[in-house]
Amino acid sequence: MHIPDGYLSPTVVIATYAVALPLWVYGFKKLKSSLNEETLPLIGVLSAMSFIIMMLNIPIPGGTSGHAVGAVLIAILFNPWIAYISISIVLLIQAIIFGDGGISTFATNSLTMGFVGAFVGYYVFEALKKYKFAPYLAGWSGIVASSLLVAILLGIEPIFWTKNGMPLYFPFGLKTTIPALVGAHMLFFGVVEAIFTGLIYNYVKNKNLEFIK
Amino acid sequence: MKKRVYIVLIVLTALIPLGLLTNAPAWGEWGKEYYKNSLGFIPKGIESTKELNSPIKDYTIASLGDISSYYLSAIIGIIMIFIIFYILTKVFNAKNS
Repeated sequence: MHIPDGYLSPTVVIATYAVALPLWVYGFKKLKSSLNEETLPLIGVLSAMSFIIMMLNIPIPGGTSGHAVGAVLIAILFNPWIAYISISIVLLIQAIIFGDGGISTFATNSLTMGFVGAFVGYYVFEALKKYKFAPYLAGWSGIVASSLLVAILLGIEPIFWTKNGMPLYFPFGLKTTIPALVGAHMLFFGVVEAIFTGLIYNYVKNKNLEFIK
Repeated sequence: MKKRVYIVLIVLTALIPLGLLTNAPAWGEWGKEYYKNSLGFIPKGIESTKELNSPIKDYTIASLGDISSYYLSAIIGIIMIFIIFYILTKVFNAKNS
């Protein structure tokens, strides 16, 4: 889901930065009020887990691969705003140091994998908290929602931005991107995200965590 | 609680070579040649994009083998994440006090 540079039209790039920026500002305020010497190791380690889980590529039928993201785990163990900022920091490191993702698409990727994944997962979890399967379904829903937004942002490129009938940026439309991306996340990577989120949530959860919310 | 998350992180990091089992790219994250081969052309915006000069492009360190590169990339990433959060903690708390 890491959209590389050059795949999105300048309009989408600017629009996603315009949306992401105020959310970063608000998220940083949230982070500022909860980041201290006591919470630092936990926020750091959860972000590091997200970085690592994104390196664990899983091959799927059709000759492609993908991975879980880990945003929902941070959102339900901690807070979705912190998850958005943490995933953004991970994505920035991936883009600059490892050439994974892009700079022009940094805002887009932060919104899709970070913001949307974290908040959808968080609200699914909050709604179903009393059920044992809540963290699993939250993980699945979060990453599937992320993949839907990625599919839409990529799929609208050839509708709006063409020259002489030739696509200027990402060339495949919604009819291709939605089944390919959302389908793969529903069937495969969403399941991995569900297991990752559910198992680790159950392994580390602790009632004393309320203080960090 | 904290001890447990460290254990999880260490286990996941130890599993990192599993990420190398596939060479398949992620859907929609192809290189320029993919478009040349599948469409017969490369969309202009994609063609004219210069790749960023990342120091550890694709988690590969030229002088090392695949697995050691991947392990080292993982460790560098983890350290950078902790440094960023450490600096943020210091900055935020300096302002707060």
